[in-house]
Amino acid sequence: MRLRRGQKPTRRLAHVWNEANCTACGACIIACTATNAPEMMHREEKGWNSLASNIRRIESANAQGRPTMLLNQCQHCEDAPCVHTCPFGAVYYNDDGLVAIDERLCIGCSYCVAACPYNVRWMHPDNGLPKKCMGQACLDLVAANQQPACVQACPANARDFGDLNDPNSSVTQTLRRLPNRVLLEKAGTKPKYFIVESAS
Amino acid sequence: MNVADLTLQADVAHWSWTIALFLWFVGIAGMGSVAYYFSRKAPLAITIFASLVIGLLLVVSHLTRWWNLPVTIFYAVLELSFNFQSWMFWGFVILSVHLVFSAVVVLANIPYLQRFWFLRWGAVLNQSNLFLGGFAFAGFMATVYSGFLISTAAGVPLWNTALIPVLWVISASVATVAVLELFYVFGWVEEREAAFGLRIGMGLDVMKLLAVLAFIHISLTVGTMGAQIGAERMFSGDLAMLTWIGVIGIGILLPLAIGAFTLLFGKKKPLLAVSAVAALAGVLFLRAAVLLAGIWEPLVI
Ligand code: SF4
Ligand code: SF4
Ligand code: SF4
Repeated sequence: MRLRRGQKPTRRLAHVWNEANCTACGACIIACTATNAPEMMHREEKGWNSLASNIRRIESANAQGRPTMLLNQCQHCEDAPCVHTCPFGAVYYNDDGLVAIDERLCIGCSYCVAACPYNVRWMHPDNGLPKKCMGQACLDLVAANQQPACVQACPANARDFGDLNDPNSSVTQTLRRLPNRVLLEKAGTKPKYFIVESAS
Repeated sequence: MNVADLTLQADVAHWSWTIALFLWFVGIAGMGSVAYYFSRKAPLAITIFASLVIGLLLVVSHLTRWWNLPVTIFYAVLELSFNFQSWMFWGFVILSVHLVFSAVVVLANIPYLQRFWFLRWGAVLNQSNLFLGGFAFAGFMATVYSGFLISTAAGVPLWNTALIPVLWVISASVATVAVLELFYVFGWVEEREAAFGLRIGMGLDVMKLLAVLAFIHISLTVGTMGAQIGAERMFSGDLAMLTWIGVIGIGILLPLAIGAFTLLFGKKKPLLAVSAVAALAGVLFLRAAVLLAGIWEPLVI
């Protein structure tokens, strides 16, 4: 359900990625595309030079020259620039605290793509819609009380998804127990994608 | 600390030459409307209207779901989902108003149409300072909008500066002076209008030069990493040719040199034509360089 201005969501669903547990196998990335955009399997998002997926793998090296890897995806920001910029209100906050899209109201201007500081949106080459986490298939899984595809696919228990408003949810407990961070905190977007820094 | 990823905005959001041309046409139409208040000539009215129509066709062609526009507007009206926070929404409003005003002005400037009594109200409005003041204001706001449109795209730090709307207004004014110069060359206006004379044109060129250099300098020195890398691409990277030769050399220094020559030796129409075309091209190159230089803030690991 679309939240009106000033309304608070009932749940604050959020993703957690444990970078210490992650083996960089890429199962979540492939599961994401296979579940939400199967027509894009084996097709590239040209701007990213990688599989068109709602999860983007960013490889680099740290100061010591050791390889590093970051999995990036929509942060479901609580002050989301993509929501502020969409001209006809196609991008909105829903009652679960997720940033969603109403396809009827989208004209494909890609303003939301340019407005996202995390560079997680991509334009679908077939239908012209801006894509990002969560895809419709994952929303359906969540509505059926299941975990999203990436969480189910991860063989290393590096991913979790749950309600930050629920003190007993696994995500709340993990975030309370283990050191974690968010990306581009200074951007002021109030992101809800948490990177846990030590193994659980 | 390592820069993990560099993604060009033009590769993912696809705002490149089509959008640069859109911004260019909107700038010409916008500041052209301000000029029309002072110089009420038919060629200018037609140029404003044509620029606006071409600009709008370009931007609509860029929408990946242009065919959904009527459906979107229908549901947005029905459900009142318009986003008043969005500069793109305000752009739709401002450009629609500007288009209607400019259609009236064009109507009043086509003698054939003035034969029909039911269209003569156009000529009446075209005499009204109030109406033409509104037209000038709509044009100015369209130019300002075209700057805020990109400066509020939070994903591209190079653009997130209030200098862009200022730069857009100055450069669109340069383009308007160039259009009037071309009209003079073609003999469509008697003499270049006093208010938009040579000295004002040269002053605008100098202001544009300062604004372009300030934009690059501020991004390079106090911008975030994404803004710095974008500005570096303009200053010394893959877009340096476009910046130094296109924006500054052709777009500013050449018209300035021709202006100085004209002040010393008098007007030569072929030279004025070169100056005007160069200035117009420079304004387009500026928009293209700024758009193409945009990258996302690299996520530092
Ligand atoms: S929740 Fe679904 S859409 Fe989001 S990253 Fe995971 S698999 Fe992809
Ligand atoms: S990460 Fe980007 S796409 Fe997701 S909510 Fe934030 S601004 Fe919007
Ligand atoms: S592409 Fe669609 S969802 Fe994104 S800003 Fe434009 S209209 Fe809104």
